[in-house]
Order: sequence, then C-alpha cells, then structure tokens
Amino acid sequence: MIRFDNLSKRYEGGYEALRNVSFEMDAGEMAFLTGHSGAGKSTLLKLLMLIERPTSGNLLINGKNLNRLPHAKVPFYRRQVGVVFQNHQLLFDRTVFDNVALPLQVAGYSHADIGRRVRAALDSVGLLDRERQNPIALSGGEQQRVGVARAVVHKPKILLADEPTGNLDPQLSAEIMALFKRFQDVGVTVLVATHDIDLINRMNMRIMRLNQGQMEQDGISYGGY
Amino acid sequence: MAATDNTSRRGARGKVLSRTERLRSYRYHHRATLKTSVLKMLREPLQSLLTILVIAIALTLPAALYLGVENISQLSGGVDSSAQISVFVKKGARDPALTKLAEQLEGLSGVASVSYISAQSALDEFKAVSGFGSALQYLDNNPLPEAFLVQPLLFNDASRLVAEIRKMALVDDVQLDMAWLQRLDALLDIGRKLVLALAVALGLGVILVVGNTIRLAIQSRRDEITVVKLVGGTDAYVRRPFLYSGLLFGLMGALVAAILLASLGFWLAEPVRNLAGLYQSQYSISGLGFGGFMVLLLIGGSVGLIGAWLAVGQHLRKIKPN
Repeated sequence: MIRFDNLSKRYEGGYEALRNVSFEMDAGEMAFLTGHSGAGKSTLLKLLMLIERPTSGNLLINGKNLNRLPHAKVPFYRRQVGVVFQNHQLLFDRTVFDNVALPLQVAGYSHADIGRRVRAALDSVGLLDRERQNPIALSGGEQQRVGVARAVVHKPKILLADEPTGNLDPQLSAEIMALFKRFQDVGVTVLVATHDIDLINRMNMRIMRLNQGQMEQDGISYGGY
Repeated sequence: MAATDNTSRRGARGKVLSRTERLRSYRYHHRATLKTSVLKMLREPLQSLLTILVIAIALTLPAALYLGVENISQLSGGVDSSAQISVFVKKGARDPALTKLAEQLEGLSGVASVSYISAQSALDEFKAVSGFGSALQYLDNNPLPEAFLVQPLLFNDASRLVAEIRKMALVDDVQLDMAWLQRLDALLDIGRKLVLALAVALGLGVILVVGNTIRLAIQSRRDEITVVKLVGGTDAYVRRPFLYSGLLFGLMGALVAAILLASLGFWLAEPVRNLAGLYQSQYSISGLGFGGFMVLLLIGGSVGLIGAWLAVGQHLRKIKPN
C-alpha cells in the first residue's frame, strides 16, 4: 500500500530531514512511527500527504509513483487519505457536523449522503449527540475524536495521525488508539506518529523508529528503552 | 440504488460518484457558496459597505461624465438638422432673375428645401425683433439684400453645397454657420476620450480595492483554507467563495452607482428643463436606460471578479498546510 524507496528530503537551506528512508506497509496494516522531535516524523507524514515533495527517491502508493503526480491531481489523492492532527485543526466557526462534513463537501457528495455518512462517523467515535454543538464547547479528548471522525468520514484507504494523543491524558489516549485499531480491523492502513512510548509498548504492534532522518529500527518487538 | 445501498452497508470504501451526482452536488455547492458569500458580506457590514461605496463612486464618476457627453451630443445632433445655408443675392437683381436663381438652387442635388426671404420681409422681421424699429424708420432705403434659405438634406453635404452656390452668377455671399458646431464636436471628442481615460483609471482602482478586500478575507479564513486543502479541496473549490464575493461586491457597487446616477438625473432634471424652456426647447436629459444599466452591472461585475481573481491567484498559493 505504502512504499518508501530510498527517500530523502532536504529543505531549502540544506537541512536534511530524511536520509535514504525505505519501508513498506501492506494494505490493512497498522504501524507506529516514533523518534525524538526533529527525527523526521512530521516530514515523513508531510511527504505522504504531498504537502512536501521528496528531494530524491520514490514514494509509491498502491503501486503508483507520487513523484509524477501533477499539482492538479493532488487534491484527488488526498481524498484517499485521512489525517488526524495533534492540534486537531477543527474550525470553530461551524458545528461539529459541518467540521466532519468538510471532506465530503469537498469531494462533491450529495446532501443526503453527507448527512448519513457524517452521522455514521460521529457514531463510530461516540459523539453522535454532539453534532449540533460548536467544537470549542467540547473537551480536548472529544475535540480529538471529532478530528478522527473527520479523518475517516470519507472512508479513506490510508489513515495518518501526527501525535494524535499529544495533549491527552493516558486514558483518553488509549481510547483514541483503540479507535485507530478498529479502523485497521476494517481494512484501513494506519500510520501513527507518536513519542508516547508507554502507549505503544502496550499495543504490541509494528514500530518504526527514526533517528536524525534515518530509519533506525523497524519491527514488532520494541527494544532499546 | 440497490448497488449503492450494498456498498454503504458493507462500508468498505469511499464510493465513486456518478457524473449526474457530481453535477448535482456541483450546482448545490455553487448555490451554497453564493449563500455563504452573501452571509459573510452581511456579517461584516461596515467593511462591506465601504468596499461597495468605493466601487460605486468609482463607477459613478465616469458614468456620469459619459451621460453628460452623450446628452450634449444628442443636443448638437438636434442642431445638425437645422443647419441652414443663407444665400445673399447681389443688389438690384430683378424678379425674373430671382425666380431663375430659386429654380437653380432647387435643382442642386442634396437640397431639401429652398425658401425666399424678400428684402422687405427681412427688414420687417428685423424691426420687430431687434427693437430698433423706430431708428430704422430713418433709413432712406432698405440696406438688406434679397436672400434664400437653403436647407441641405444632410449636414455633411453643406460645405459642398456652399461651394457650388458660391459659383452662381447672382450670388453675392453664402454663409453657413457651422463653425461652432465643429468646435462642439471637437469638445465632445475630448470629453469622450476623458471618459475612457477616467473609466480605465478608476476601473484599475476598483480592481485594487476588491483585491485588497479579498486579500483580507483570505487572511481571516486561513485556517479554513488550510483544512479544505488538506482534506482534498481543489484549487477551484478554494477559490470559488472568494470569486463569488468579488462578483457580489462589483454587482452591488454597480447597483449603488445606478442609484446615484438616477438621483443625479432627478436632481438635474428641473434646472435642465428650465434652461431648455429659455431656448423654447422640449429637451430633457436622458438617463442610463435599461441597456446602460445592464452594461454598468456587467462592468461592475467583471471588474469585481477580476480583482478577486488576481488576489486569490496571488495569495492562495502561499497558504500551505504544515
């Protein structure tokens, strides 16, 4: 599903965020991306969202090389990807419902379809009764769950999360992770960037560790700490 | 329908939308965008009002000047048809010669009518109109010549007719009072050029004003643009609400300009009627009219749209999610 082939990213000014990173993820696989801040986690996710383009190497999604994807096609690629942000990036000028509906509106779903799918997504994160509220009135954990609902409402093939539990207490973090696990169970490829070591140790899953832009470790068992 | 239900029940993947579904939601999005653009405009009434007024004033100035020039040129058009050639006959011409000259004048091509003014009737009219009646009594003989008034069919033919008439034997002098008309025409030409220059300059001003307003709108909706881009909104989708706003500003500005022009016309109607009355004329000023109003809307709308387009093109690229 996802294949990084000797990928490097050098920013303007010479800073090398990623160096010859290679890995592969199958469809329906879930993995954690970890490492100190500045190790390249965010850059890796940005490359996957096509916010940044690699300096060298190939990035293949579903066998297609993203390097050759023209600017005009980028939005259509992003519609196959769901993203959860640390700061959740919710819009406070509209209701919870409208926040979650955004990816569907953008893709041109019909009014009735949007209603059904948004409620299904809110139901899956347990916030169906909050659809009419403004997200600013919700707690941190609830806001993040709205963010998750928005990331999965259009049923993406890939779900990316950048420090999704960064601001949450351990119990809420575990809830969010359990949510991700549920999406993996229905076939979504899930990649979660986090430095929450305790959490991922408990989950017993594939862990990829970046160090200064290089893939330091990639495997199920977690050692080194 | 059954197939769609199946897909959603299985809940496997985002579905592929059909053409008609896309078209329907495209139209729906256009309507929704228009609605939110109007609401956004109303949410910041002062800023919107200022922008609309600036556009309205910038459109009113050249439009008012244009209407002024057009009204004056209509006036001079009315004068064109009354341009007459005065033909003064040499002293002492006898009646048979005068009759012959009249026939000759009528025979010229491009002449609409010829009328004879005898020296005596000219003197009588002069006495009546000038107020020198009693003084003229002291004249021994009539100093005025016999004359003909020649009415050309076309104003443009007048100079050619003057040249031909001047060659005739009995003719002493020919006068065509068109110099002032030519001057007026030249002035109107300058007026029209001025309208164009003013319209272009102020049109550019409107583009800048709309561009600036849209730039502020883009900045205040930065978060929204970022998120829309991240969830797969195309550039066209992101651009659309701002283009609608620009179009609305332009159209509202044109509407206010039309109201200003109508009030101006209303305000000037009375004094113009008074002035026309002094010249025994039925003249009244003509306004924009329906066609002119549509053109004004078209210009306002396009200028607003262009301003928005430029601002959007310049600023949207800069907003990159991070």
